[in-house]
Amino acid sequence: MPVGGRKQAPVVIEEEMAVVASTISGRTSELPAMWNRMLEPRVLRDYGSGGFARLAALQGGESLEWCYGCGKCVPVCPVDLVGEYGPRKLHRKVQSGVDLLADDDLWLCTTCMNCLRVCPKQVDMIKVMPAARGAAVGAGEVPTELQDVFEKTFRYGNCLGENPRRRHAWTRGAGVPVRVLADQPGPVDVLFYVEDYWSYHPRGQQAAQAFARVLTALGVDFAILGAEEKTVGDSQRLAGEAGLFEALMEDVAATLGRYDFRRIVTPDPHGFNALVKEYPKHGHRYDVLHYTQLLAPLVEQMPFAASLERTVTFHDPCYLGRHNGEYDAPRTLLEAIPGIRLVEMGRCRENGYCCGGGGGGMWLDGFTSNHTAERLSERRVREAAETGADILAVCCPYEVSRFEDAAKSTGNDHLQVRDIVELLDEAMRGHGEG
Amino acid sequence: MTIANQAAPAVAVVGGGPAGLAAARTAADLGSPVVLIERLGFLGGMPIIENYAAITPHLEPAEVAMGRMITAVESHPLVEVVLDTEVTSCEGEAGAFTLTLEGGAGGSRKISAGAVVVATGFQHFDPGRETQMYGYYEFPDVIALQDLEAMLKDHHVVRPSNGESPARVCFVQCVGSRDRQIGNEYCSKVCCGIASKEAMEVRQMLPDCEVFIFYIDMRMYGYWENQIYWPAQEQYHVQYVKGVISEVLPKGDRLLVRGEDTTMGRPMEVLMDLVVLSVGMEPSPGTRKMASVLGIEQNKYGFVEAVQPPLDTVSTSRVGVFAAGAALGPADLEDSVSTGAAAASRAVALLRSPVGA
Repeated sequence: MPVGGRKQAPVVIEEEMAVVASTISGRTSELPAMWNRMLEPRVLRDYGSGGFARLAALQGGESLEWCYGCGKCVPVCPVDLVGEYGPRKLHRKVQSGVDLLADDDLWLCTTCMNCLRVCPKQVDMIKVMPAARGAAVGAGEVPTELQDVFEKTFRYGNCLGENPRRRHAWTRGAGVPVRVLADQPGPVDVLFYVEDYWSYHPRGQQAAQAFARVLTALGVDFAILGAEEKTVGDSQRLAGEAGLFEALMEDVAATLGRYDFRRIVTPDPHGFNALVKEYPKHGHRYDVLHYTQLLAPLVEQMPFAASLERTVTFHDPCYLGRHNGEYDAPRTLLEAIPGIRLVEMGRCRENGYCCGGGGGGMWLDGFTSNHTAERLSERRVREAAETGADILAVCCPYEVSRFEDAAKSTGNDHLQVRDIVELLDEAMRGHGEG
Repeated sequence: MTIANQAAPAVAVVGGGPAGLAAARTAADLGSPVVLIERLGFLGGMPIIENYAAITPHLEPAEVAMGRMITAVESHPLVEVVLDTEVTSCEGEAGAFTLTLEGGAGGSRKISAGAVVVATGFQHFDPGRETQMYGYYEFPDVIALQDLEAMLKDHHVVRPSNGESPARVCFVQCVGSRDRQIGNEYCSKVCCGIASKEAMEVRQMLPDCEVFIFYIDMRMYGYWENQIYWPAQEQYHVQYVKGVISEVLPKGDRLLVRGEDTTMGRPMEVLMDLVVLSVGMEPSPGTRKMASVLGIEQNKYGFVEAVQPPLDTVSTSRVGVFAAGAALGPADLEDSVSTGAAAASRAVALLRSPVGA
């Protein structure tokens, strides 16, 4: 406004970041510019190929530059639905000078692969992300909580930092004998590769025990590695620790080389993914099945003793479904259980929504929460609840804990989260727990 | 040779560019005598007139590619090439036209022709008419596609202001096209491809030069998508930015291009050493003049109107007169030679068919 005949130019605030303090709690929170355009420096002053060239110098990093901006990836990106992120947006940011290796966006991708599924230019975030993250890890630019998991994995061979000697403690509650190969060597049909969350997480242990009972009931000859088992570490690889992954792989391959088994069966789609896709690149070839793939052909032999009378919806794990094309085995199992009515969520199978756990997301919930309105798992649980189901069935060890937390935080306590094998076990034993 | 004493009626082809050369060659190959009339003293049309370096999409040198067409026509026993000559009138009707030719060594003379093919082409849009503030005539370092073509042909891409190699070059798309104010509401069809092709050539010639293309939407139809657009982006690292430029301002000895980055929703102000305006196509003066001389309908933009589109691309409002190439509207080389051949075969068919074509 002109005052006393003197023109005063309007004052424009241009800040990348503002800190807002609550007058009630006194807590401060950062408002990144993306939440409020008025806080952005408005004018873009440069573009360039340099950011893409730096990515292209990393193996697997070249395809981000191929984006031609169609935007098909953004609506299917699970992160964009709860925040401000997507491969197309990342392309523009890098083109306009943002250093991806130093940007928080680097850690938001869950490598769920839904973008690659729809991308006409095959911009491959499944390769770009580990490449760029690997460079950031090399430069020591890693979110603290993820670094903590890397260190635990390195020291203990599991992401939880648990005692390796207690890796098979869960077997005591199984109610059936579980053979440990170190103690009882000799040929075995199925090597049950338990992986971290079924070994140590209380809810995972329940699933492991259920799986042992189901295998026993079906007369499957199986054994585990017990204390000798280490994580395959595929999510650590996708989170940027290729070196850690490869060191683990050499350990795992050496251990596997000492035993005589016909096939590996694992409940973890992430470990499964690495055993199927990464291990062969290094000359380690095994016959590998996800546990649902082992059990699906055996449904006719399953001695079901109870009808569960429940409505169930099923969440496709990204690394079993999109990454490895297995959509039917879990459904075959669910549909075989007497009394179960399977209802699908809108996003299922090829366009299933990510739980947020992949690509290191499992260990970045705190970091990610600074950039998203809610967790991906919360978003997914709402979808599951909308189907009217009373059970959300899963078959990835990451998901039980994620979805149980999300069911509570979204007020959907009535929605039970159960691994498929727990439902099979319950129906075969003839009495339920839930 | 002279075709005056041939028994069969001749096909007169007006214009010696790609479309006219294709028409002349096709009619002659079909056994018809041809008179090819060119206003200038040489054949080849715009690729030669405007010093195009390499032609889209395979980057063959324009002189080599056009040279092949020219040789085939000049050496054809059924073709008479008449240079430095314009058609000033056309009397009669299909099968028995009389054309008056002016210029050349012979002064004014009349020839007879059974059919006429008009292949008088386009001209580049004059950026001086642009309603934006691009400063084509104001800033030496603002040039147009064909200006860069000439520099590429010389293997000497520099800033005209100081003769130095540019470190940053941008292309501004849709200059003079898709614009109601200017009156050119159509898309000129080739500029996205030509700009991308030139961008690749600049990157080849000046590997350290950053090249940008500011666009409304990239229109790389058919194979140009994977022949030009994708290699430009993926192999030559040309930076495509969605959002066209509204004005060019001087800033020191460089140019500040201003526009909106539409996917970011933010203004952009970026410094450039060389700004290339991707000018569109307008009917050439020859096309406007020949449409009038031949009495054929033009559309509101001045291009020759094809009267039975879309399945007949070459017939005009006057029976026996066919049109080809960019005289019909924006066309790439492939379109131009295709309609050239189509017009010629329709002309020959007309002359041979008892019921007309």
